[in-house]
Amino acid sequence: MIYQVRHLTKYSYALPVTTTHSELRLTPRELPWQHLVRSVITVEPHYENMRGFRDYFGNAVRYCSVLTPHHELAITAESIVEVQALNPLMPAATPAWEQVRAALGNHEDPGALQAFEFAAESRYIRWTQQIADYARRSLAPGRPILEAAADLSSRIHRDFRYLPESTDIDTSVEDVFRNQRGVCQDFAHLLIAMLRAHGLAARYVSGYLRSGNIGAEASHAWVSVFVPGHGWVDLDPTNDVLVATDHITLAWGRDYGDVTPVKGITLGGGDHIIEVEVRVDPLAAVPAIADTRRASARRWDR
Amino acid sequence: MIEAVAPTAWTYSPVEGHYDEVLDSRGRPRRHWRRLANTMTRLGPQQFARRWQHGRQLIQANGITFNVYGDPLGQERPWPVDPIPLILADHEWETIEAAVLQRAMLFNHLLGDIYGPQRCLSDGGLPPELIFHNPGFLRPCHGLPVPRSVFLHHYAADFGRSPDGQWWVLSDRTQTPSGLGYALENRMVSAQILPEAFRSSHVRPLTRYFHEYRQGLFELTRTKRDSPRVVLLTPGPFNEAYFEHAYLAKYLGYTLVEGADLVVRDERVYLKTLGGLSPVDIILRRQDDSYCDPLSFRGDSVLGVPGLLAAVRAGNVVVANALGTGVLETPALSGFLPGLCESRLSEKLKVPSLASWWCGEPQACRYVLNHLAELVIKPAFPRFGLHPIFAAQLSATDRDDLRRRIEANPSQFVAQEQMALSTAPVLSEQGLEARHLVLRVFAVWSGDGYVVMPGGLTRISTSQDSLVVSLQQGGGSKDTWILTQREEEPLPETARAPVDVTRTPDMPSRVADNMFWLGRYLERVESLARLARVLLPSLSSEADLGGGMSIEAAVELLIGYEYLPDEMSHAPVPEQRRWLERVLRWIVFDTERVNALSWNISQVRRSARSLKERLSSDAWRLLNRLDQEFPSGMISGEAHLLDQLNTLDRAILTLASFSGLMTENMTRSQGWRFLDMGRRLERALQLVELMRHGLAGALTDENAALDMLLQIADSGITYRMRYYTAMQADLVLDLLLVDEANPRSVGFQIQQLAVHLKRLPGQDPSGRLPEEQQHIVKALTAIRLCKTNELSADREELRDFLDSVRGDLFSASTALSSRYLSHLTSTRLLASA
Repeated sequence: MIYQVRHLTKYSYALPVTTTHSELRLTPRELPWQHLVRSVITVEPHYENMRGFRDYFGNAVRYCSVLTPHHELAITAESIVEVQALNPLMPAATPAWEQVRAALGNHEDPGALQAFEFAAESRYIRWTQQIADYARRSLAPGRPILEAAADLSSRIHRDFRYLPESTDIDTSVEDVFRNQRGVCQDFAHLLIAMLRAHGLAARYVSGYLRSGNIGAEASHAWVSVFVPGHGWVDLDPTNDVLVATDHITLAWGRDYGDVTPVKGITLGGGDHIIEVEVRVDPLAAVPAIADTRRASARRWDR
Repeated sequence: MIEAVAPTAWTYSPVEGHYDEVLDSRGRPRRHWRRLANTMTRLGPQQFARRWQHGRQLIQANGITFNVYGDPLGQERPWPVDPIPLILADHEWETIEAAVLQRAMLFNHLLGDIYGPQRCLSDGGLPPELIFHNPGFLRPCHGLPVPRSVFLHHYAADFGRSPDGQWWVLSDRTQTPSGLGYALENRMVSAQILPEAFRSSHVRPLTRYFHEYRQGLFELTRTKRDSPRVVLLTPGPFNEAYFEHAYLAKYLGYTLVEGADLVVRDERVYLKTLGGLSPVDIILRRQDDSYCDPLSFRGDSVLGVPGLLAAVRAGNVVVANALGTGVLETPALSGFLPGLCESRLSEKLKVPSLASWWCGEPQACRYVLNHLAELVIKPAFPRFGLHPIFAAQLSATDRDDLRRRIEANPSQFVAQEQMALSTAPVLSEQGLEARHLVLRVFAVWSGDGYVVMPGGLTRISTSQDSLVVSLQQGGGSKDTWILTQREEEPLPETARAPVDVTRTPDMPSRVADNMFWLGRYLERVESLARLARVLLPSLSSEADLGGGMSIEAAVELLIGYEYLPDEMSHAPVPEQRRWLERVLRWIVFDTERVNALSWNISQVRRSARSLKERLSSDAWRLLNRLDQEFPSGMISGEAHLLDQLNTLDRAILTLASFSGLMTENMTRSQGWRFLDMGRRLERALQLVELMRHGLAGALTDENAALDMLLQIADSGITYRMRYYTAMQADLVLDLLLVDEANPRSVGFQIQQLAVHLKRLPGQDPSGRLPEEQQHIVKALTAIRLCKTNELSADREELRDFLDSVRGDLFSASTALSSRYLSHLTSTRLLASA
């Protein structure tokens, strides 16, 4: 599949902001199953510089700072990405979940050692006994890990209500579990918390979703679970699917905090409004590249 | 007081079962203590106490303090130092020194590995939990450039001595080791009160260490600039060790800054100064790393510098210690150090750490659970507010509860043996008393390796029975003397490289801001004190108390200030008196109201606190005295009228002394200029207010009102010297508004402000006046041209005139702030989905 993605984030402030420093994680990752054809990020007003680097998890980050007073900040990320289908994994053929738990952190197995980072509490991932108990029902002794994870994902999809604007960034996993509603980010955090509560490794993936799925009108989030022998396998509890070619991966980390698409520190500003617009359009073929440059903004091409 | 009960001869008895630093097993002083013992014997307790009295004055005079978190009695306590140093012989010191050097090297190596290839994990040298689950492991710092691979610029280790005389390392400080400044201060005190013993014992000096300290920082940016700018980053005056930050900055010659003083532009760090942005090459950080950049770490922190990490990533600034070094401050590490030392440095670990068990290892955990009552349980990853648990002191239920918590989450706990720490004598009210001690030793990277400071900070327990050594919990400290047989080599020539004359060093805008506000608050205190002092006598039963002061005039003035409601002017005299008394009481003593004197004194203290390193000890003493002159107890209402008057008199004299110090002892730096501008601006505003309420309103008894004005403005004598007439409004106006020869007139203040403003940096060479000067020139001209007889005849016009002067003063102040002073707007985090 080839997609064209346009992701606009616009901040409007009541009072002028004198300085904004921001980190953008808006460039899709280059992966065995995902090829980044092109990515352009534009920031308005004029930004001072935009340096690219890879963070600890290998995500592409742009750092930029706007040092002229502004009432509005608009960040547009446009990408063209090609996503290929991977050979589907048979959940029943994956190792038993207890075996996975035992292998994590083993220093002789680089994959299992690295995966161990994703097995602990993190800023947005905390769990309670109730959350662990809920998850236990999917974790029968000896059950293959992917089967268990997929079952948990389905249960979340069934038991929790997708309700836009019912939560915000700081809503805890515990509150989401108690109120049984949330958005993609909450369901991702919840599934991760349930897996980690039982010693398994799970990471948070941010990205985009092909239109027609739940949550496609904004940036999306799902979960990746570590399956020894196969690597990381993605599941989307919001849509109750194993991820195939409808998802475009931007970045991954321990939780939302590691992969926030647009993160910034402002000086001044007063009250503000955020508008976010995401469009994901399938393309028939990789297009000839049109010049989207705007007169007032510099741009960065990959 | 010590001298009151000091016994006539020394007695000292160590604690059974502990090693004593002074007396050997047969009760005789150890060899290296003999000279000090002789001196003390010769002096005897009483003379020693007198000397110590002098030492304590020194501490107070120098304003040596530390802050105690959550202390309701106020922020600062005098630094608790004991006059008797800890003495170590050189052979013993060699062991400690070698151990500290080895650890500094090992830790630096580990940091390079943890924030790099992480081989210590892949080869099994460290369990992955200790890194991956450690909140001190800052992922954004992984792979950042670190010049010459010096992650650990400074390091400290706490040592304790067991009953068999062996030293052990109790803990390691790799983040922002504190105590160096206090060690230096302790040395100053002990050398001053025990000069004979200090000289004859051959104590190794500390100065060379600080030379190495500077040298090491310099080396880190050698290739970039000839004279790198170093700043010492402090979390600010509320941090427990702020005094030390200020002291070290001054001693090392670095600028003390807070996060808000720094700004990142173009991936470079700049210091905001009066003269503009000045580039910063090295940040000596005394702030925990996770607070240093809200963009990369804690978004809720207002202490940091947004974008700092970007500047580090671009290689444009060095942070020492490197960001992320706190990862090693886990007590869980110590059990793995012997193995790591052998595999990394191919050496045996020289001095072991205190026996400890990380419960993340099943075997260790079993041991801990079986021996819980003998152990001290600590969180594996220290966090503010988490304290060690002495399992022996817990009730059976609490211990079971602890056991369950460990079993539920073993990798979060570390158990340590409780060491029977050695003892040394401290001076107490009863004479000498044995206390337990922990010695903190410091190392720094000097440019080609680490060096250890020949000395340290010895901390002592609160009592004989307590093994807890914590200044936060009321312990004390001692100087540490390392004796030597060898002559110390003189410092190399480069240590004394000539320094260029600088007359106008760049001043951080925040400092100027604090100076300005210190000036304003001081003046506010003074004008309120003068107001209250003049009004207080009107409360006495006599309607007229000598100075022509009447209760009516006082009531009218206070109605003008809106301290009293309008209808009070028609109230019967006894009620007026009651109200007046109440109002005057809170004007003087209320700590909550912004227009009360005590509140303004607390603001003086606030502004002064962050100027600690810039005010002389005399200035400090005066500010302390001002603070003490207003005991909070007086608000309760029992204070007698005369006591209040005395208090106000003393405060006014203290303020006058401060003004004298400012005039005679302060260099005419930009700091002084901002302090004085603050005073002038505030005095002008206060005088304008006074005239608005005292003259421009409807007056019943003009004579009394004018007299009162002159008294409050401290110009009564001048008036009577000049005019042998009764009070005349136009003459009073001339003296208080126009006369630039009267230092208590509005004209004088504004004229002085005009002079100051012209001397500030950034004047337009074409001579165009910047905004703040425009307002000042306008006000000054208006005053010079005004006709006091017309103004005094038409009080409406006078009111308008005064309002317009006030408006100009406010505008000038705003323009000045936005041009020179830091914009202390708070930052915040934005995040989007």
